[in-house]
Amino acid sequence: MVRERCGPARRVAVTGVGAVSGFGWGIEPLWAGLSSGRAAIAGFGRFDHAGHRTHVAAEVPALPAALARRTSGRRLSIADRFALSAAFEALAAAGLPGDLAGEVAGVYFGSSTGGMWEGERFIAGLLTATPRLRTSLLASQQVNGPGDAVARRLGVSGPVETLSSACASGGLALGAALDALRAGEVDLALAGGADSLCEITYGGFNALRSVSEEPCRPFRAGRDGLSIGEGAVVLVLESEERALERGARPLAFLAGAGASCDAHHMTAPEPAGRGAAAAIRAALADAGLAPGEIDFVNAHATGTPLNDAAEWRAFVEVFGARAAGLPVTATKGSIGHLLGSSGAIEAVATVLCLRHGEVHPTPAGGEVDPELPVDLVLGSPRPLTARAALSTSLAFGGSNAALVFTRAGA
Amino acid sequence: MAEVSVTATLRERIKRLIVDSLHLDGTDPDSIEDGEPLFGEGLGLDSVDALELVVALEKEFGIKIKSNEMDRDAFSSVASLASFVEGRL
Repeated sequence: MVRERCGPARRVAVTGVGAVSGFGWGIEPLWAGLSSGRAAIAGFGRFDHAGHRTHVAAEVPALPAALARRTSGRRLSIADRFALSAAFEALAAAGLPGDLAGEVAGVYFGSSTGGMWEGERFIAGLLTATPRLRTSLLASQQVNGPGDAVARRLGVSGPVETLSSACASGGLALGAALDALRAGEVDLALAGGADSLCEITYGGFNALRSVSEEPCRPFRAGRDGLSIGEGAVVLVLESEERALERGARPLAFLAGAGASCDAHHMTAPEPAGRGAAAAIRAALADAGLAPGEIDFVNAHATGTPLNDAAEWRAFVEVFGARAAGLPVTATKGSIGHLLGSSGAIEAVATVLCLRHGEVHPTPAGGEVDPELPVDLVLGSPRPLTARAALSTSLAFGGSNAALVFTRAGA
Repeated sequence: MAEVSVTATLRERIKRLIVDSLHLDGTDPDSIEDGEPLFGEGLGLDSVDALELVVALEKEFGIKIKSNEMDRDAFSSVASLASFVEGRL
């Protein structure tokens, strides 16, 4: 994603956002929840977790009746419904119709689970005393389900891609959308992701002892693991030129994207954070900004001992002495780790912070680890009229994505 | 008389099976007409529904249905399905 600039490059604007999270269905509950300093991580009912070591997650509340009709469909997975709701909200916010047939539009999604839950139900149906073969569940179990559902429902006829690289997926998806728009392949991009709570992922991370019994505490001393979340997010992206032409107001600009790989280990991050630093540098170069121009960071910050330590090292490498004073927010402390779609929902959190002129807090609880002395915004929002912000995603398996957003004028 | 009521019962069973196996929530089985098109227009089922329906029919009636038998004629309506199934029992 690092590219040489040959003349003025078209700026890519975010003109609408939509979301579903543990705080509820919509951007409004998401922002209200993030600002409140509460965590949406608590007991959950999607499946029986009695056999696991941990019993909390950031589960999306029940579908409100008002949204049921628009997101309904016999073969839609839970994640498909999340994605559709987010897409409709984002388009409405961008002042665009729900039918994009006349547009040169593309969908760029990131997901780890897609319809995994429905796949699990299919297998469960086979393993009962009276086996049932539910073909419809199979049809919706693909990881590309949500992105495809959005494209189908909205009549998108351009490229529809789902990237699946663990926790970096959403960040990479936004990078792909950015590239496509800059290259003129599409005029409009719907970028985002969707993931739902599944037994494989919940059980899997528990088996690796990566999950905390309590809501996760990123960058804190004594942090002991992540919290799993679910939800979806969609960002409407288009060139600044096109947005202004049609009277749409940019919420922020996606100024740059960068990616890298640790090439280190299947699950553990490279401890010196070199891969993460490389992705951050690439994103900054792509945005044409120096590290000193970043005003706050939305960190990957899962709350695992290893991730947060490696991420701190990456910040030190890129920001040097500034690292200790740079405001940092850790969205996963509030809405948990959405896995593949985390990079996308955290990009939206970053956009909202730029838009509202304040860095949302991470729920309070415990001191920041003195080994990683980040300036973590805790408890209540920090007013900050930021010009540029960084959002990082450091995946399990070593894929790293970094995004740089810049503020849009009032 | 006995034959007519067997066919009627079979058609009712098939209608219920369609609604249950395809999760057509809100559709009353009795509202499906015997001769109404099932696929495309009418009830609006598609190719994935067809697969699901075949599995349900095989299970319910203890019959085997080959892929090349899943054609438009046999599966076009409840009436044609009932004839098809009856021929296999």
